[in-house]
Amino acid sequence: MIKKICNTATAVCFLLLVFGFAAAFWILPDSAFSDAENRPLALFPEFTLETLTDGSFNSGMTEYFADQFPARPLFVRMKAECEIAVGRGENNGVLLGKNDQLAVRKFRVYESLLRQTSDMDYYYRENVTLSLDALNAYASNETRPLVTLLPPRSVDVAASALSYPGEITDALHDQIAEGLRPETGYIDLLPLFREHYDAGEYVYFRTDHHWTPEGAYLAYREVMKGFGLEEEIKPPEDFTPEEIPGFYGTTWSKSQLKFIEPDTIRYLSPGNEDRFETSCFSVKMVKDENGRPKKVKEVYKSFPGWLNRDYFTAKDKYAAFLDGTHNEQFVTIPEMDAERERLLIMKDSFANTLVPYLAQHFDLVIGNLTGGVANATELAEEYGCSRVLVVYNWENLITAASLTAIK
Amino acid sequence: MVFSSLLFLFAFLPLTLALYYIVPHNRWRNIVLFIVSLLFYGWGEPVYILVMLGSITAAYGFGFLIAKNRETNRKRARVWMTLSLITNLSALLFFKYANFFIANLRLIPLLSEKLAPIEGLTLPIGISFYTFQIMSYTIDLYRGQTEVQRNFIAFGTYVTLFPQLIAGPIVRYRDVDDQLTGRRETLDLFASGARRFILGLAKKILLGDAASRVYEYAKATAEFNSTALGAWMVMIFYTLHIYYDFAGYSDMAIGLGRMFGFRFLENFDYPYISKSITEFWRRWHMSLSTWFKEYVYIPLGGNRVGRLKQYRNIAVVWFLTGFWHGANWNYIIWGAFFGIILMIEKGFLLKKLEKLPSIVGHLYALLLIGFGWIIFSHTDIAAGWRCFLALFGVGTEALSSPVIRYEFLHALPLLLIAGIGATPYPKRIWDRLGEHDWISCGSITPYGEERPITEDGLVLSKRGKVVAVLTTVGCVFLFVLCVAYMVDSTFSPFLYFIF
Repeated sequence: MIKKICNTATAVCFLLLVFGFAAAFWILPDSAFSDAENRPLALFPEFTLETLTDGSFNSGMTEYFADQFPARPLFVRMKAECEIAVGRGENNGVLLGKNDQLAVRKFRVYESLLRQTSDMDYYYRENVTLSLDALNAYASNETRPLVTLLPPRSVDVAASALSYPGEITDALHDQIAEGLRPETGYIDLLPLFREHYDAGEYVYFRTDHHWTPEGAYLAYREVMKGFGLEEEIKPPEDFTPEEIPGFYGTTWSKSQLKFIEPDTIRYLSPGNEDRFETSCFSVKMVKDENGRPKKVKEVYKSFPGWLNRDYFTAKDKYAAFLDGTHNEQFVTIPEMDAERERLLIMKDSFANTLVPYLAQHFDLVIGNLTGGVANATELAEEYGCSRVLVVYNWENLITAASLTAIK
Repeated sequence: MVFSSLLFLFAFLPLTLALYYIVPHNRWRNIVLFIVSLLFYGWGEPVYILVMLGSITAAYGFGFLIAKNRETNRKRARVWMTLSLITNLSALLFFKYANFFIANLRLIPLLSEKLAPIEGLTLPIGISFYTFQIMSYTIDLYRGQTEVQRNFIAFGTYVTLFPQLIAGPIVRYRDVDDQLTGRRETLDLFASGARRFILGLAKKILLGDAASRVYEYAKATAEFNSTALGAWMVMIFYTLHIYYDFAGYSDMAIGLGRMFGFRFLENFDYPYISKSITEFWRRWHMSLSTWFKEYVYIPLGGNRVGRLKQYRNIAVVWFLTGFWHGANWNYIIWGAFFGIILMIEKGFLLKKLEKLPSIVGHLYALLLIGFGWIIFSHTDIAAGWRCFLALFGVGTEALSSPVIRYEFLHALPLLLIAGIGATPYPKRIWDRLGEHDWISCGSITPYGEERPITEDGLVLSKRGKVVAVLTTVGCVFLFVLCVAYMVDSTFSPFLYFIF
């Protein structure tokens, strides 16, 4: 009797699951985009004789099936929580630390620009050396005062919250400190940030790979000191905090650990945003009357202040700063046209939260290194900048080659 | 297509099950199986269906000629058999080994200019497996151990049967010839097949793939920071990975077979509890060892010849076993490695080992098996050698590093679960608690011993009933968990858009 019941139950459950998911797959509507993964999802592949014989229909079907699978987010979450439950201490290369601190441990490092390895916590020293050497070469030709900030990763700053060893942090830290010449104006941020993190200050997000506006304030002070403008630093009292709760960052998305509490962005407002204007430029190559190639710059977007507050209500709240990623931007006070000193920032996204503070002192010319803008000398001349700041975080240093092109 | 894919589980399988059970008779069901198996096979490489069909047709045709002559004209039958084998083997030789031979001939100075590798030649999936299956039919037929199969569909179904098509077990024709035309599908057999399939899926996805990730990581760290601990992790976790991957796949094949009324022979028998390499090869990939024993070793004279010839026979079999695994020198070395150990064991070591405490035998066997997997997993022989030396701290930068120790510590639960799971104890305890073997009921050992399908008069105590229910619920849970891991493996967030 029990045999009959169990065997029937096994067979029925198995068939229900197999046929149930198959049915759900075909009945439920397809979605074109995944917010969780921030990418378009595969749709039903084109079916022709050609796609069938060249195999693209088959591979397309495999992708379609994976991307549109019913209850996909639920399954992904189930796997993540299972990994934590069995004591892995991480999921998808994201460590889970004390106080809900998340930190990416493994990164997609490149052996060369052509060959990509799987995610790894070790990194290729030679690639970092290439970036450091490029920065050294640039610094030795740059006559303007230069400050270089290389923000560490969450895994480096939040070490005290993680049981993960500091071997790689130390290696990278020492390589940078030894590899950069004094002309680069390099400021070692790691001890400073660790000290403030360990004191319980909210300097790096728990769910995102960036520093917080408070963390950026610390970095701002270092920049000012680096330029010898210590007296001009605005004290914290000059800024009014504004809280934007419910921020789930990139690290959270990668980890899929949905039980983690969201971050709160504490935007430190100087209260004078409306005096400022940010413009975004596109550069096009056209031919002039003589048929020679010529650069043409166009403003394709401009907005008051430096925030796009629409992003504060969307998932990706960090993108509110400087409106996310643009290759070339200019932050100025229009009524004080050309009266203020200009600072060139060659940067990645860490610099976006520095803008509210630095804009109090300078007009900001911003070139996005990760978007391929690397000609600092040309930009500085074009705008008449008198100082240069480089902001490029450790993760980019080990996974990308953008900085190698700086000149 | 592989079993551990969403497309197989939730598109191919339901479709096949529905079609199979809608049509009434075995004859029609064979047609269903034949067609869906071709679809299954052709999913990745549609063109190679033709290669396989060619091999099937040749063996099917030669089969009549062998059967016709085997009673009356032995010599002629032998010629037809040889021709049939040559046809089959030449497809295998060409697709699997041609470029290996060319690459090696090119090392000879004068030939390097004249020979060029054949471009676009990829290995047809499963060709090593189905070629051996077809050959077993041809040889058994010649030996009079089986009857000619007149039904092309039935024969085609035997070769292409999707559960064992691409990764075995290598089913001998005479073990399933009755089942091809006269099998009976029952609810009990189906349920036992579903349990077996889920268990195999769990072995592959939850243990095999997890071990593979640790192995891949440890192997990659050697490039940055070569440590002895890293090398041990490469060895240990590859040992676990290949067992759970392969045994899991065999479980899935056996389970799927049962869902369609087939009863295949077992393919693995807890190989890692062996106390010698001789024992290991009686427990690992048994369908392959049996095949080589029956169709190569024994025809060469087996054990019934002089010492010297016995060694020659071992050498031949183990060269072929190694080479069968892949067209690369490391596989040949791997085969030779085991061949030599087996000769030594045959010579004197086995007798010595038996006298020692069994722990010595276990350690001895596990270490050599592990060394073997290092050879097996490194197609770059020099890298394999470096990894082997690194086990003993030769050529390494350190014995271990903090990050590698961290990884090892966090892989310990996996090592523990997978290690215990590779012994017979968990299943033995579960069977005893449950007073019934829910997982293997209905299977057949390679020695031909049939384990009964759940018997009708099964009476269980209260505890047995609880275990029965837990088994059922556990299977459902494991299946859902496997699906979660499969879905997750396709999760590829694109996040770093703000940079």
